[in-house]
Amino acid sequence: MEKMTPLYLPIELITQILLRLPVKSLICFKSVCKTWFTLISNPNFANSHFKFSESTQTLRILSISAIPTQIRSVDFEVLFNNHSNSLNPNLSLPQSYFPLQIKGSCRGFIFFNCSSNNYIWNPSTGFCKSLPLSPIGSNFGTYSYLYGFGYDHSRDDYLLASLYPALAADVSSHLEIFSLRDNAWKEIEDTPFPYWSPYHYPKLGLLFNEALHWFVSRSSSLVDVIVSFNLMERKLLEIPIPSDFGDYLLDIGSWVFGEFLSLWAMRNRIVEIWVMKEYKVHSSWIKNIVLSIDTLPTKCFFPIYSTKSDDVIGTDDGSGLVKYNNKGHLLEYRTYCDDPRGSQVVMYTESLLSLPGDHEQV
Amino acid sequence: MAQEASSSTSSKTISLKTGDGEIFEIEASAAKQMKTVQRLIDDLGDDITIPLHNVFSKELPKIIEYYKKDITGEITKDFEAEFVKDLNDDEVKVLFLAANYLDANKLFEFLSQNIADRLESKSVEYVRKYFGVENDFTPEEESKLREERAWSFRGIKEDE
Repeated sequence: MEKMTPLYLPIELITQILLRLPVKSLICFKSVCKTWFTLISNPNFANSHFKFSESTQTLRILSISAIPTQIRSVDFEVLFNNHSNSLNPNLSLPQSYFPLQIKGSCRGFIFFNCSSNNYIWNPSTGFCKSLPLSPIGSNFGTYSYLYGFGYDHSRDDYLLASLYPALAADVSSHLEIFSLRDNAWKEIEDTPFPYWSPYHYPKLGLLFNEALHWFVSRSSSLVDVIVSFNLMERKLLEIPIPSDFGDYLLDIGSWVFGEFLSLWAMRNRIVEIWVMKEYKVHSSWIKNIVLSIDTLPTKCFFPIYSTKSDDVIGTDDGSGLVKYNNKGHLLEYRTYCDDPRGSQVVMYTESLLSLPGDHEQV
Repeated sequence: MAQEASSSTSSKTISLKTGDGEIFEIEASAAKQMKTVQRLIDDLGDDITIPLHNVFSKELPKIIEYYKKDITGEITKDFEAEFVKDLNDDEVKVLFLAANYLDANKLFEFLSQNIADRLESKSVEYVRKYFGVENDFTPEEESKLREERAWSFRGIKEDE
């Protein structure tokens, strides 16, 4: 024999290939053999894989419908490029976790609430952990407070934030953070929160530039602003909204448009999208796109994702995902969910990551 | 040996000899992209035929073809797609190993991704055969794993 093709590749070479596989394949290939199982389950591999795929991965949406309980993970690119798309539920969570309310997503983890308990769940690995309740939270009752879920890379820590506005003049506001690494809630002292959140303002904070952002109203003047909470510095900062943002809005929200913080406002069957070209600089707000949602059956549209070519994709508050181009023209409409009442939707990425300090692997 | 000015590399060719004794020519600037070859040139000089014991006459021309395109800056997605189009999974694996041996980074990364793309929806059994890996799970362990991760097995192509 002139040459011998080695029958096996050394593990370093196999790792180079594995790093380039999507999470779904890696979960499946854990069954190849014990060495592969250990390699793929290793948190260092998960971190390398996450870093590697961060720039190339398409985001997905997780859709959870209530009756019957079904969970779907939908890849945007596949949905819009594939004319025959299966709408079958493709993820599962034990029935005991329903009904649930999604409260955020970060690095492949979903933060949700079920019967007043908080959970962190990685839909790709199946890992699910319940978190201790906050002492303030349990006393606050059913008033909807502001919350968010983010990551502090300086400590490799996942954080939950809860902001409780002052309900009356003599009641103080509270701001608390849950650190997954410390497994404890901690109140941020001496941080007044003189804002309130009208019922229809979104409660989930937007994670951007390592800070959580909420659209709120100053209690004293009822002027709308964005308030940001930096996860590393643990400081609140006000960011002014565009001067012509307007009043009498049906619905508003914040999202990330490309690399920019963006606000959208829906009124009179129109959605306006504003973009802050320079973070925190008031004069850099520009009204980027105006869309007509008149042709949508639900007359609703919430932007959630932008493609590399600056197309805007969002939900129609029903069972459809809608794509507009950056001139405001409706490009495509796709149903992603069987239930016409729609579902709870959150954007997420797939990851093999495990929580810091957690050695239990699924 | 007279010292050659470095600017003469533009038209200089290097001779490479495969493990099965065949000789191929490659431009010095392309050879620079394969760190193993460059190291051998640094040690042995660029007038000697460089021996490559672990690369054979089946693969080397293909590798040379890739780097010929690379030095003229012509590597495009279309070229790469065409490059691997008629290769079967085993041929890609051999090229991948050769690129690793030659420390030819760009080709190595491209082929890693291509193999990953090919394996993406293949079955566990196929992957085992491809890498020559033995299944050391018991049947019970394996069926438990599959059950827990049933969602990741949907859409898998049957063994080809």
